[in-house]
Amino acid sequence: MSKQEHHETESTAETPTHTGAEAAVEALDAAGVEMIFGVQGGAIMPVYDALFHSDIRHVTMAHEQGAAHAADAYGVVRNGPGVCMATSGPGATNLVTGIADANMDSDALVALTGQVPASMVGSDAFQETDTMGVTTPLTKHNYFAHTAEEVGTAVGEAIALSTQGRFGPTLIDLPKDATVASTDVETPPPSPPATTVPQRHAPETAVAAAAETIATADRPLLLFGGGVIKADATRIARTFAQTYEIPVVTTMPGIGSFPEDDPLALSWAGMHGTGYANMAITHTDCLIAVGTRFDDRLTGGVETFAPEATVIHIEIDPAEVSKNIHADIPLIGDAAEVLGQLDAAMPGPPPVDTWREQVQTWKQEYPMDYVMGPDGPLKPQFVVERLDAATSDRAIVTTGVGQHQMWAAQYWTFTEPRTWVSSHGLGTMGYGVPAAIGARLAADDDQEVICVDGDGSFLMTMQELSVAVREQLDITVAILNNEYIGMVRQWQDAFFDGRRMASEYSWMPEFDALAEAFGAKGLRVDSHEEVDPAIEAALEYDGPAVIDFHIDPFENVYPMVPSGGANGHFALTPEQL
Amino acid sequence: MTPEVPKEGLAGPAPEDRPHPTGRRDAAGVRRDTTASAEDTARRTILSALVEDEPGVLARVAGLFSRRQFNIDSLTVGPTTVTGHSRITLVVEEPRGQIAQIERQLAKLKPVISVGELDEDAVRTEVVLMKVRGQSPADVQAVVAMFDGQTIDAGSASLTVQITGDEQTIDDAIDAFDQFGIIEIARTGYTALARGMQPTVPGEKPGTADEPTVSPR
Repeated sequence: MSKQEHHETESTAETPTHTGAEAAVEALDAAGVEMIFGVQGGAIMPVYDALFHSDIRHVTMAHEQGAAHAADAYGVVRNGPGVCMATSGPGATNLVTGIADANMDSDALVALTGQVPASMVGSDAFQETDTMGVTTPLTKHNYFAHTAEEVGTAVGEAIALSTQGRFGPTLIDLPKDATVASTDVETPPPSPPATTVPQRHAPETAVAAAAETIATADRPLLLFGGGVIKADATRIARTFAQTYEIPVVTTMPGIGSFPEDDPLALSWAGMHGTGYANMAITHTDCLIAVGTRFDDRLTGGVETFAPEATVIHIEIDPAEVSKNIHADIPLIGDAAEVLGQLDAAMPGPPPVDTWREQVQTWKQEYPMDYVMGPDGPLKPQFVVERLDAATSDRAIVTTGVGQHQMWAAQYWTFTEPRTWVSSHGLGTMGYGVPAAIGARLAADDDQEVICVDGDGSFLMTMQELSVAVREQLDITVAILNNEYIGMVRQWQDAFFDGRRMASEYSWMPEFDALAEAFGAKGLRVDSHEEVDPAIEAALEYDGPAVIDFHIDPFENVYPMVPSGGANGHFALTPEQL
Repeated sequence: MTPEVPKEGLAGPAPEDRPHPTGRRDAAGVRRDTTASAEDTARRTILSALVEDEPGVLARVAGLFSRRQFNIDSLTVGPTTVTGHSRITLVVEEPRGQIAQIERQLAKLKPVISVGELDEDAVRTEVVLMKVRGQSPADVQAVVAMFDGQTIDAGSASLTVQITGDEQTIDDAIDAFDQFGIIEIARTGYTALARGMQPTVPGEKPGTADEPTVSPR
């Protein structure tokens, strides 16, 4: 029977009740979910069966981790929830890395997991895992739908909660007896729990104090985190910076919150941030931090982080205020709303002429220029710059984790929000390829999707290339191949006397041939001259293309603030480490 | 006048050739030149959390303390005036900044309705059960009376006594009974309420005679 015939047969039968699985799909529909990334399996089969009649598009991934990352990236690009689905046991545990990744990066990932029948939970049944126990510390909240009656409400609430206040992952564990059973309880419209309503506006007295502090500061600096993008506050954030001519540093998740080609932009700060961003953050006397949690990769040693700055912290999550860096003036609320309040309260612009000149001097003193000999090995920075030049401003870049990720973040000039899609807090190698799939399906047709990957990261999730081929997705995977776990090799050379234990790949597959075996276009590049033609061929190809760039295996990422070190002491050469 | 790029790495003044600020923060991220950085030493305090009585709520609270390395001395749970709500009373020992962090992290948990730190003058009590050797029951009785306690089980070899009071009273009682030989001890940890009509957690509604307390059990 065809899908259409089956649908018609079903719709003629009047049924006053629906199954728990149908309630789940109704809740997804009511929340406006258009796409799910998942993998089939025993305990989740009833929910898949209910999807049979639904208009929601399901993308079958090769591995559940890929489903979670694809859904995560889809959500990042759409600035809404991304939904993934898997069965119980290994299906659920394979999602866990993706859920943990979303949790660290405040991404609105919603996971539906099958579970053994509630009557069998606790008996160590086939493919039983305590999914609730495993995912409790990794989610905003997780739900166990004990009965069919609870399913619709739980799914709706989980989706609504994922984007309420600070974004974050949620999970609904669906035991098979609850999804199979029928109920006449109607599925309510999705609504978040009443106990988690965030404060949207900051108190006016605190706002006035912050405005006064900024207006009288000699060296004010804006620090934009991922929260600026999540709160859809990039427009007002840009206006605020430009109105008061305050220089802007971003965090890595904040890349795209402020155009990096703006004269006020200092790019991103932290371990591998630009020298000028780290100089500015070290010398500011008034740090206006928006939507950031002061991760240790940003702050370096806490003692020397913005050590002379009055910290104004605009943040939706009260628990992030004074967690790592003490906020002298906390402004709890929505980033866009509070920036609006702050703008209205500003008595005038701060006296920043000298400071802006200083910042410009640092930009000239610490250029991000690299040396590339005419016949020398291929430099990864050059590859990133050429990819950037060959694509539009709205092109989306996804990455894995490691050196390639840093070069992509450093040498690509980002000007638009939600064009940088990466794994920051968790540092999940393998994020790039599945994220490119999710981003491609979320993006507009005129947006190119480029996965800048490492050879190590690519090997972790490359099976998802089969999905890109099957779904005919136009993505370009640019592997910066140095045949090392490069960042580990760099640390071993710097901090372990060059003992390259388990970081060198003695043998690597030929990624171009591998791509062809998957049904994608495969290209290989060994020299500078081959870079542009290969990029052009990959972009012109209507489908997934993989370019295996064989780069200088010993190129290192600079600047570098050693772990726990002072941002102002960033090393520019190996001797300075 | 672009500086020359070295063979490996990037151009620019070396760390020792750059200006460096003299200011510092402490380990809690507080600027040392501010009054806020006055020594923030650990202190014991009582937190009360009103929570939705749903499966797993205790695991979520306990998991939070373990994951964030918060020191917890005791935890008690019980029903409140509202059906479906429970009160969790926690005794914690942390510096002030960390106590605020515990409150905020607790408040983030979905089943947590409201959290508050109790004032110094909040009413608080703890129960201890002690099983002591029964050789001199009359002497044991005398000590029980001194502490306004009760003997709740008596056998030929042992007596089980119950003492209620604040932490100091319980500690003193344990010392006093030690002379008889204590076989086993079970202490509950504090349960506590704010004094007078002040709500114990922010926003907590008083129970009324019209809506009698319903025990969920």
